[in-house]
Amino acid sequence: MSTIRVRSPASYWLAVPAAVWMLGVVVVPIVLLVWVSFWGGRTFSPASPLTFDNYARFFANQTYIKLAGTTVLHTMTLMAVTGVLGYCIAYFLVMKVKSPAWRLALFLAFIIPFWTSTLIRAIAWVPFLGVNGVINQLLMSIGATRSPIEAFLYSHTGITMAQVSLYTMMAAGPVVYMLSSIAPQLREAAMTLKATPFTVFRRITFPLTLPGVVIGQVLVFLNVMSDFATVATIGGNKHALLSNLVLLFYESSQIRAASVVAVLLMICMLVGVVIALRVVDVRRLGAER
Amino acid sequence: MTGGPKIGWKGRSSLTAWILGTLTVIFLAYQWLPILTLGLLSFSGPTGGTTFPMNGTSFHWYQELWRASVMNDFKPPLMRSVLLALACSATTVVLSVAAAQAMRGQFRGSGWFFYLMLLGIMAPGILVGFGFAILMRLIGVELSWDTTTFLVQVSWTLPFGFLTMLAVFNRFDKRVEEAALTLGASRLKTFRRITLPLVLPGVIGAGLFGFSLSYDEYARSMFTTGPDATLPLAVMAQLDRQLTPEIYAVGTTTTIFSLIAVMLCTVAFWAMRRSTALRKS
Repeated sequence: MSTIRVRSPASYWLAVPAAVWMLGVVVVPIVLLVWVSFWGGRTFSPASPLTFDNYARFFANQTYIKLAGTTVLHTMTLMAVTGVLGYCIAYFLVMKVKSPAWRLALFLAFIIPFWTSTLIRAIAWVPFLGVNGVINQLLMSIGATRSPIEAFLYSHTGITMAQVSLYTMMAAGPVVYMLSSIAPQLREAAMTLKATPFTVFRRITFPLTLPGVVIGQVLVFLNVMSDFATVATIGGNKHALLSNLVLLFYESSQIRAASVVAVLLMICMLVGVVIALRVVDVRRLGAER
Repeated sequence: MTGGPKIGWKGRSSLTAWILGTLTVIFLAYQWLPILTLGLLSFSGPTGGTTFPMNGTSFHWYQELWRASVMNDFKPPLMRSVLLALACSATTVVLSVAAAQAMRGQFRGSGWFFYLMLLGIMAPGILVGFGFAILMRLIGVELSWDTTTFLVQVSWTLPFGFLTMLAVFNRFDKRVEEAALTLGASRLKTFRRITLPLVLPGVIGAGLFGFSLSYDEYARSMFTTGPDATLPLAVMAQLDRQLTPEIYAVGTTTTIFSLIAVMLCTVAFWAMRRSTALRKS
């Protein structure tokens, strides 16, 4: 018995507003994007004939294909860096910090920046990366380089550096959750049976946290693939990834070209998520809990 | 076993702890230093540039912010952002409580409904915003911050509120509800008098989620806002025009704003834990 009867019409009607909202604002526009990407003809209207011309035009251009490759490579780099770094941090927080007060303090120190604007945090990297920026001043004061390095602001290195600071906690969060739900007895049993710490990690701890790793990687993947704001802030006009191309086409009123890129971005993301789901069954994960 | 000095497991374990701990501290610095630098540089002198040296300390850039010209006045965008965030927060609370309560009723299609909500979190803002902008163009609706942006942003904040409420409803003690119902209270009355007060901290959490996510949203707003910009859009536009410490002052101000929201959230959760602890004792 509860305040709502199981399978009652009331439960159905309570869900309708949220469902309609999500369908109208998320599902319909995304389906529309796919449709628009096939529109041919000169006028922008639903009456346009459907063709593959928009796609053909995109794939005929070497620059765009290269850009797609760069995007995937950049995203993979970030997944690797944030994955390793995030796992180390999560492992330290859960397994090595014993005092609850310290653990809470560290958790807060990690989570608080996560609640502030990503855009502002990306902008905060600008004074660090410039030719006269903090990093160059530091390098020159300790005598590591004599002249400033121009490789930070408006470069891929700079974008990667900022995004690592923005997204590592996304990779670490799910791992923290999975690590803290491992029963200590499991590891103790393995230790009693004379497994070395490394074997315990390889055979017990890591496999049990794998779902967390995969979920974290999916989050980083989706966010980096679609993060045009950081790329625009730090890369300036010099660097673009696939998501910036959507914006670029949109601003120059090439709606169909923009939707082609958007659809390709979507396909990349779907492929990524499907691969991840093959590794971990998220639904079963929910059922276990 | 290989050669070399023999270190016991305990020794090796504490060595791992030291290495990982150092890494963690370095990363913390890596994450916090830019934010702190942004705050510090916003107080640089009137002749200060966008990096060190600061050329003195002053409130100059905050004063600039206050008496800004029409071109780079951040006050109207700030007002819009706050109003929008409040509206999104309120809508999120109402819809997510209703939707989570509906999930408890296990209606037909609730599995699909759950995935629909997850899609709202997974679908990137650039695709949703762009798609919605095209849809509005085809229907012939003018883009504006208080209509189209509001619609799109709620589709982003609502799933987070929904998941929060779902977690809260999963944890809460159903026997209290059952007791009220057994004593003859109607379902509606039980919900209003028993359920809602018990899950109130969660509701506040959902509301803060809604506020904070809407307040900081950039990608979705960028496609759907029309001529009157929200704060993140205004900041980005200013960054395109000219980089001055004024942007740092805006950044510091909104960051402090967000931190106040987090603090409120923490207090709400703390109050929730305290109230459950009291109930158990």
